[in-house]
Amino acid sequence: MAKETKSEESFEPKIIAFLCNWCSYAGADLAGVSRFQYPSNTRTIRVMCTGTISPHHILKAFQKGADGVLLLGCHIGDCHYLKGNYMTIKRVAVLKGLLKFTGFQEERLYLDWVSAAEGVKFAEVVRSFTQKIKELGPSHLKTSFS
Amino acid sequence: MKVMLERVRKLLNDGRIDGFIGLRLQHGQPAPYMFTKEDRDDLESLIVGDVRYPLNKALLRIARQNPELRFGVMVRGCDERGLIELFKWNQLNQDRVIPVGIACSSQLAEACECYKPYPSEWVVGEKTQGVSKSKRLQKIEGMKQDERLSYWMGQFNKCIKCYGCRDACPMCFCEVCSLEDRNFILTGKLPPENPTFHLSRAVHMVGRCIDCGLCEEACPSNIPVRTLYKKVGEIVSEVFGYRTGESADGKSPLNILGEVTLDISDVNK
Repeated sequence: MAKETKSEESFEPKIIAFLCNWCSYAGADLAGVSRFQYPSNTRTIRVMCTGTISPHHILKAFQKGADGVLLLGCHIGDCHYLKGNYMTIKRVAVLKGLLKFTGFQEERLYLDWVSAAEGVKFAEVVRSFTQKIKELGPSHLKTSFS
Repeated sequence: MKVMLERVRKLLNDGRIDGFIGLRLQHGQPAPYMFTKEDRDDLESLIVGDVRYPLNKALLRIARQNPELRFGVMVRGCDERGLIELFKWNQLNQDRVIPVGIACSSQLAEACECYKPYPSEWVVGEKTQGVSKSKRLQKIEGMKQDERLSYWMGQFNKCIKCYGCRDACPMCFCEVCSLEDRNFILTGKLPPENPTFHLSRAVHMVGRCIDCGLCEEACPSNIPVRTLYKKVGEIVSEVFGYRTGESADGKSPLNILGEVTLDISDVNK
């Protein structure tokens, strides 16, 4: 019993974070140079725009064993390509609905906007998302169907 | 039935269409056939009934090869929705297609849980009441999260990756299919990577699926893919207020760059 609790506590999730080059990646950079502390569970993939992330990439990340997928992009209206993030929010809305319907915990997918000036927000989003995934435990795709 | 024959014969005689795509018995099985002016005597063999077939897919293929010709096509409620979307997606030329409608029987409408089992104009059959609430969706939505997961994974893992759902789908018109992209879908392994394989296809059905259910009929493993795509349609209508194929106005929400009414808090709730 005690052993089980320990393994639960020591569960370190793998989180794939897609960060947009113009806002959120710079936001992460700011968090870094400002020395804001945040958990090291995220594996960052820099993309030019969140609009380039296809639902295929998100699904593939889950399939390959990610416990969570974090998408961070520019605020609506601030997209470097004007409307890339408009596409992202629509795609994520559909994908989350589908994940929920098929019984996958849709909370494991999280979209938020972090600008280049929001280093504090970046650290906060990563911290709270990591905490949420830790509470949810390992992805069911890994535990039940591997 | 007679009305249908006369209508088609008149269209062919007047030269308004070069060919009519319908069904006729071939070796005892209903199969698609294009009736032309030359063989209009064969029109007697045209059949109409509860048999369904992806005629739009046949039309799409012939029209791509013969862009200068004009066609008539037999349509049900779902086929008409499909035509409307195919026009919007620039796959067919609206000026070169004349639909001839048939209304579905109430049994068929019930079995399909179709919300509009009749086209805007029809020559055969009678208008029947559509089904607004899908029992299939209610059944799954009534399950708990882990039950839904094991139900769907059990279904998805029956897949033998025959691509029957895609090949039967009248809305799958892409020349290069991302389900055959080796970077996304692992090859040489059965069942395919689930849920990625099926959810990828479901995502592609946004603004396309017109709920004809031919995918499910084509599936040799009886995976309830129609239920999944019905849900896609429901999500699109709830989130974006867009009903696929309902009217010639508007475009599929994921086909428009911009125009978003969603807030980030709606998505992450």
